[in-house]
Amino acid sequence: MRHNKLTPYLLIAPAFVLIALVTLYPTWYSFWLSLNRSRRGALEFIGFENYRNILDTDGFQFRNDFWESLWNTLTFGFFFVLITVVLAFLLAIIFNRRLKGTTVYMVIIFVPWMLSEIVSGIMFRWLFLPQFGLLQNWLAPLVGETPILASGAGAMGVVIGATVWRSLAFATLLILAGMQTIASELYDAAAIDGASGWQRFRYITWPLVRPTTTITVLFLTIQAVNAAGMFLAITDGGPGRSTEVLSLFMYREALEFFNFGYAAALSVIMLGLNSILALIYLRVLRD
Amino acid sequence: MSTLPNIEAHSRAASVQAGPSGRVRRRLEPLLLHTLLIIFCIIVLFPIGYVILTSLAPSRTALGRGFFNAESQLFFGHYTRLLSNSRFLVYILNSAINSIGGAALTTFCVALAGYAFARFRFRGRRALLAFLLALLMLPNLTNLIPLYKLASDLQLRDTYLIMILVYASYGVPLGIWIMKGFFESIPRELEEAAAVDGAGLWTMLWRIIIPLALPGLTSVMIINFVYNWNDFLTALILLSSTAMKTATVGLFDFQNQLSGNDNELLAAACVIIMLPGILIFLVARNAFLEGIAEGAVKG
Repeated sequence: MRHNKLTPYLLIAPAFVLIALVTLYPTWYSFWLSLNRSRRGALEFIGFENYRNILDTDGFQFRNDFWESLWNTLTFGFFFVLITVVLAFLLAIIFNRRLKGTTVYMVIIFVPWMLSEIVSGIMFRWLFLPQFGLLQNWLAPLVGETPILASGAGAMGVVIGATVWRSLAFATLLILAGMQTIASELYDAAAIDGASGWQRFRYITWPLVRPTTTITVLFLTIQAVNAAGMFLAITDGGPGRSTEVLSLFMYREALEFFNFGYAAALSVIMLGLNSILALIYLRVLRD
Repeated sequence: MSTLPNIEAHSRAASVQAGPSGRVRRRLEPLLLHTLLIIFCIIVLFPIGYVILTSLAPSRTALGRGFFNAESQLFFGHYTRLLSNSRFLVYILNSAINSIGGAALTTFCVALAGYAFARFRFRGRRALLAFLLALLMLPNLTNLIPLYKLASDLQLRDTYLIMILVYASYGVPLGIWIMKGFFESIPRELEEAAAVDGAGLWTMLWRIIIPLALPGLTSVMIINFVYNWNDFLTALILLSSTAMKTATVGLFDFQNQLSGNDNELLAAACVIIMLPGILIFLVARNAFLEGIAEGAVKG
């Protein structure tokens, strides 16, 4: 085909101009902001002061808001990823039996993914509304008098549940896609050799779906580190600071207290976490 | 680009897997699995069904106040009230403008870029593709603080322009990967024939390539429309005037103001806001499922 050397660059230009404006430049600006303090609307350069304040371990007590929020994020992430992956794996195994109507089931469990976080959040908050919430009332005999959303662990549990509910289908689809790359001849051969269900899983399914599972875990972990919408809608960080995750902490510093430098430093730290996970992802994809 | 798992084709493996343990097991197992799956689906749909029922109850009767009794009737008053409320309609209109504008701009950009990545070998191609994959992984959240500050400084907060640009950019990484795959699946012969006939690149793009790529472009458009429509955080941070807020931000404000009163009205607003996403998904489910699988496991 006749074309000039510049043609491909002209074709990709609009897309990359957008990325430069909306992603690259703001990221660079975020680094700059994080080295400043905002005073009466003006920026004042303070070097790495914000990072020192954020990462202050207080003689290894890890007591400040950052460490507390990081801990909340990690707790959330651990349970969210673990529960989602286990459930998604079970569903994918069942879907992989190719029963009739599997498509219908898949579409149904995908519906929550098509809802806005704020809509999902409001729905879950209602289910656990003190006094009136349906699930609150059903579960009351099990958990005692304190409303579930009024206890730290309960509130965290509700957000974890809501987020699992929303992301489960996504994870199932990825793991299922991995399982279906396995040639059925392998199972046929194993069946002829008399392999049990567990052996087939252990020696055929698992080694072959491990890369997809790793990718799924990475995607979910990134989602967990950056989860904000559900927390805003369901708990707003409460009770106390028990569900104040990193993203909410950052949001509040910027939009409630207007500490842009401090908030920018937080977002740079979060970007660092995200980048590490993204690099692992690229590594896994290449293998 | 058929990365969509093939979940209904019967394989030999499925019948062999039932093993020698007889017909009973082969009959019972599907029954058990179907039962399990149906229960699971009911649990998944439960919150959505609950919010729909709530929206159809008169004010202050739902949410544990026992509206499931015999004399209760469906009440559509909340819907008529919302659909005649000018502020709610403005929010919906703003959501529509921002999401359609953003999705359209994304589609335009990725049509060109996807074609370039599929058909040309140029310097930096591989690096740029890897960069797009990394972007696909990186959430927008960490960019919101600088975006807020920049948009305020440039007086671009509360404008359609900023929302459309930001949404359009969010859709670019996945869109390029989807379109690259799509263009690679179209045979080159048509283009080569057109080139022999002396058609220039632009004529070829608009007359031949884009029409052929229409199904892929439609997928990109609707996936991005739904994601933009559902966006909450970006809009929450970049919009603060009542004239410019989108439906999701309006819903959040509304929830905060209510503090427990008139939940039934809020439920109706939730239902209206979730409707476009669910309906479009049901109609075009393959576009979404393929798009998600494409975005995550390709590379």
